[in-house]
Amino acid sequence: MARRLASDPATAEDLVQETFYRAWRSFEQFQTGTNIRAWLFRILFNAFYAQGRQMSATPILVSLETPGVEPGPTRPAGISFADAAEVSSALDALSSEHRTVLLLAAVEGFTCREMAQILDLPIGTVMSRLSRGRQAMRDRLEPAAPKVMEARAGIGREREAG
Amino acid sequence: MNCSDIHELAPLYVCGELDAAHAADFDVHLKQCPSCLHEIEAQSRLDARLRQALLAEDVDVVRVNRRIRERMAQETVEPSVVSVEPRGNRWLKAALGIAAAFVLAVAGYFSFPGRFARVYADAAQDHQMEVVDHGPRHWTTDPTELAALEQRLGISLQVPEELAGGYHLEHGKICRLDGQLYLHLVYTDGTSEFSLFLRPRDGERLTGRISGASNGRLLRASDSGNEHLAAFATSQLIAVIAVDKPGGESVECARVASSSIGD
Repeated sequence: MARRLASDPATAEDLVQETFYRAWRSFEQFQTGTNIRAWLFRILFNAFYAQGRQMSATPILVSLETPGVEPGPTRPAGISFADAAEVSSALDALSSEHRTVLLLAAVEGFTCREMAQILDLPIGTVMSRLSRGRQAMRDRLEPAAPKVMEARAGIGREREAG
Repeated sequence: MNCSDIHELAPLYVCGELDAAHAADFDVHLKQCPSCLHEIEAQSRLDARLRQALLAEDVDVVRVNRRIRERMAQETVEPSVVSVEPRGNRWLKAALGIAAAFVLAVAGYFSFPGRFARVYADAAQDHQMEVVDHGPRHWTTDPTELAALEQRLGISLQVPEELAGGYHLEHGKICRLDGQLYLHLVYTDGTSEFSLFLRPRDGERLTGRISGASNGRLLRASDSGNEHLAAFATSQLIAVIAVDKPGGESVECARVASSSIGD
């Protein structure tokens, strides 16, 4: 998740480190019996937003070191490089709002209600963003895919009310 | 329920959080409406494709975990933290308990002798997260894909599918131990399983207690938390074994692996 939120792998690692550090520091605030994954993801998004504010006020540092020879990307088992790259590219092209809910739902397995808590959004907004994110991905991955549901439902705007 | 309702409730349906009555109505509509059925199936397929593409990405989880532990350990030894006004005895005790645990974990991590200690520590962690706790990494069982992974790592030897003692290859993937790529294989005899990490040898010296020999190779052992490790070297490969059973099990698994791996 952090890899997809952050602009590069190093920033993603910083984000994960910050998330767990904050969780550790504020562990007494966690309520036993509640969803610890949702709690951690909420901290992750708070850290991400804080990181974004900090980044916007900080000059970008460019390494002067010659990049070392990095091992190539691991070929994802069960999926071709081309397919993985296509999915990744389509995901990167989404707006951050749509990408976030899609990742939380499809990859992290959160329900809409859990996502609403994590992102502090009305559940209707989460549902709407999820539908639109899925449709945008399909538009890119399956250009011939008909927009049957949207056409039938006549829904052309994002609901921002819960 | 009409097509518009289906569209609106699709996110809840796909996430499995519709209540029973609505889910039943939803199912009835899907049986009658091929178009909506196609859409829901397409959404589920998209989610699966996304999951498969992203969970198979090469992420150095071990390094991130190490950074987190190090930062927490650093915090526990900084005087400013000790001087913070406690919010209460209960909190202080809990915080100190957690801090102590992290200090111990980090101390344990660095207590292995030699550079190879990091490989042992990372192997223990990878085994715990990916095998014992069934982390969401994508493993492959396809022999062709495994052969491709071996080729990519420069492992010229074909890894055995069967080992002595009734162990057979369950699945494999690539991982990083101490920043280097290894082939992580899991063998099982139906009741227990162990991890075998392989990579081409490049002259490094193995460390750990000498705990036996097999196939003319010394078997070395080490422990890390709940994980028990062993290692041996062939003329071409470094092999590290991780199990979560005490009592010399790691050495026995190393013996089994070594007897089936030629030079």
